[in-house]
Amino acid sequence: MKKFSLAFVLFVLAAILPFVVPEFWVHVVNEVLILGLFAVSFNLIFGYMGQLSFGHAAYYGVGAYTTGLLMVKAKWPFLLCLPASMVTAGIAALVLGLFCVRLRGIYFAILTMAFGQLVFYVVFQWYSFTGGDNGLQGIAPPPYLFNVTVYYLFTLAVVTVAMIVLRYITESPFGYTLRAIRDNAERTEFIGINVQRYMLLNFVIGGMFAGLAGALWGPFNRSVAPDLCGWQHSGQPVFMAVLGGPHNFLGPMIGSLIYIFLNAFVTGFTEYWPLVSGLVIILVVLLMPGGLFGMIKAKGYFEPGKSPSEAADRATVRDSEHG
Amino acid sequence: MTFTNLFSQFLSGLTYGMMLFLVASGLSLIFGVMNILNFAHATLWLIGAYFCYSFWSLMQDYTFALWVSIPLAALACAGVGWVTEVVLIKRIYKRELHEQLLITYALALIFADAIKIIWGPTDRLIVRPPIIQKPVFIFGAPFDSYFIFVILTGFAVAIGLWWFLKYTRYGHIVKAAVYSREMVGALGIPVPRIYTWVFTLGIFIAGLAGGVQSAIGSVTLGMDTAIVIQAFCVVVIGGFGSLAGTFAGSLIVGEVFSFAILYWPDGAMVLIFVITALILIIRPWGLFGTPLRA
Repeated sequence: MKKFSLAFVLFVLAAILPFVVPEFWVHVVNEVLILGLFAVSFNLIFGYMGQLSFGHAAYYGVGAYTTGLLMVKAKWPFLLCLPASMVTAGIAALVLGLFCVRLRGIYFAILTMAFGQLVFYVVFQWYSFTGGDNGLQGIAPPPYLFNVTVYYLFTLAVVTVAMIVLRYITESPFGYTLRAIRDNAERTEFIGINVQRYMLLNFVIGGMFAGLAGALWGPFNRSVAPDLCGWQHSGQPVFMAVLGGPHNFLGPMIGSLIYIFLNAFVTGFTEYWPLVSGLVIILVVLLMPGGLFGMIKAKGYFEPGKSPSEAADRATVRDSEHG
Repeated sequence: MTFTNLFSQFLSGLTYGMMLFLVASGLSLIFGVMNILNFAHATLWLIGAYFCYSFWSLMQDYTFALWVSIPLAALACAGVGWVTEVVLIKRIYKRELHEQLLITYALALIFADAIKIIWGPTDRLIVRPPIIQKPVFIFGAPFDSYFIFVILTGFAVAIGLWWFLKYTRYGHIVKAAVYSREMVGALGIPVPRIYTWVFTLGIFIAGLAGGVQSAIGSVTLGMDTAIVIQAFCVVVIGGFGSLAGTFAGSLIVGEVFSFAILYWPDGAMVLIFVITALILIIRPWGLFGTPLRA
């Protein structure tokens, strides 16, 4: 109940936001929502399934390009592009995920990254179709969403619905099966669960919602570029999840909030954002494993039933790469 | 396609492959021994190239400037690597995979911006000494004479590393550590110190590679982001921690790229990733690796 109420408070705050803050911050929070959804979709694979995808941006990019191409070249209405992006990103995740779910640990991370770069180079080189490194320009939201505040509220609505669906998925028996796979894949296999099939299904769901987030990005940014699929972009949701706490449903969204606000703040007075973000990543990884929620949990604020040490153990002891 | 053309294409593939080998061998060594995948490896390679440019510009009146600058760049890079290891990498040996990846990812971001702060955004160009200004003709086809030096450096490093791993005491320790760090530690060898020196050696080779790269063309920001992933591909194809594998992987990637670019320029890079993915699917431990630590 407590977690639900936190989500509700955040939603209400987000909904009244555009009426109290300047447009710039509405823009920033819009970015928080889109990348937050991206990070939450990534966390299905990372926090819930226990595998590190270092190529999740590929599915985000496929979604962004699907919407961009459909809107610019085929003149599809934006609202139809959203489900279309989920479908194409889902198909991409299905085809590539088929191979990824056979691997674990570092090999999973590298294969997802290799596939991510594969998508990146296809987009990057295929000038006639994707515009290559020029990207796609002039992706305008439809007239009824053109206003910054209206587009923001639309994004909020889509992201909220997506988050409710994702929450439902992670709390379903399917979600608990994923946790079982994360904690002990072998034992899960022994009780008769087809681990690879569950992992693949989850990979596809993660890809679809990343695609949805990508679809929201194009019209928000007015353009898409191949960088959206690249490995640097894949690092973002990893950090957002780690920052907020991968073992909490809202963790990656909170991570996105901190990350994007920090970005908006830092880029205000220095061009060396990568340097600052790098330092922040190092500090967070060294000083607060388990992320923000992990820290709160370790101090025992959130779950009165659990002893702080037990919660801390859960936050730090995960299947290591030696497994 | 005549024999001459084929041969010169082969040579340019070999050059590219040897450059990849210089970058990837350190990456593979560090991963094999320390189990840390270093995203910042190519950024340190680029720092090596900038170091080389700086040393060269201090001595540019002399014809030997470049030849002295390359080893100096490697040493300077090794210094950066040593500090990085002692200050940061040491703290993450026992951490989880994603934390190690995030730390080296963060290092790549930091080093890339450090380059921008120190050397600025303008491209840097080393004026080559006269001996390598003119192309040589091999079977009548022009070939950049400096590339011969690149290829020879690649072979020299390969032989040097092979000799080190096969015939020296420290080489044996390193090879043993690839198989079982616990056992090496149990034999009373100070594993953390070995880690520090393996990391430093890996970065030394990266710096050497950067120095060699600096005279190929102009040194520019962002050169690192593409090559780090290609070096990962090399290491995956060859097998983590295997010197022979890294060498073979470099040749495969270099030659495939060099020939694919003739027939299907847009798809050359894609082809490299397809090969990498195939290897990961069929033999995750790579062509020459062992599935011990899968």
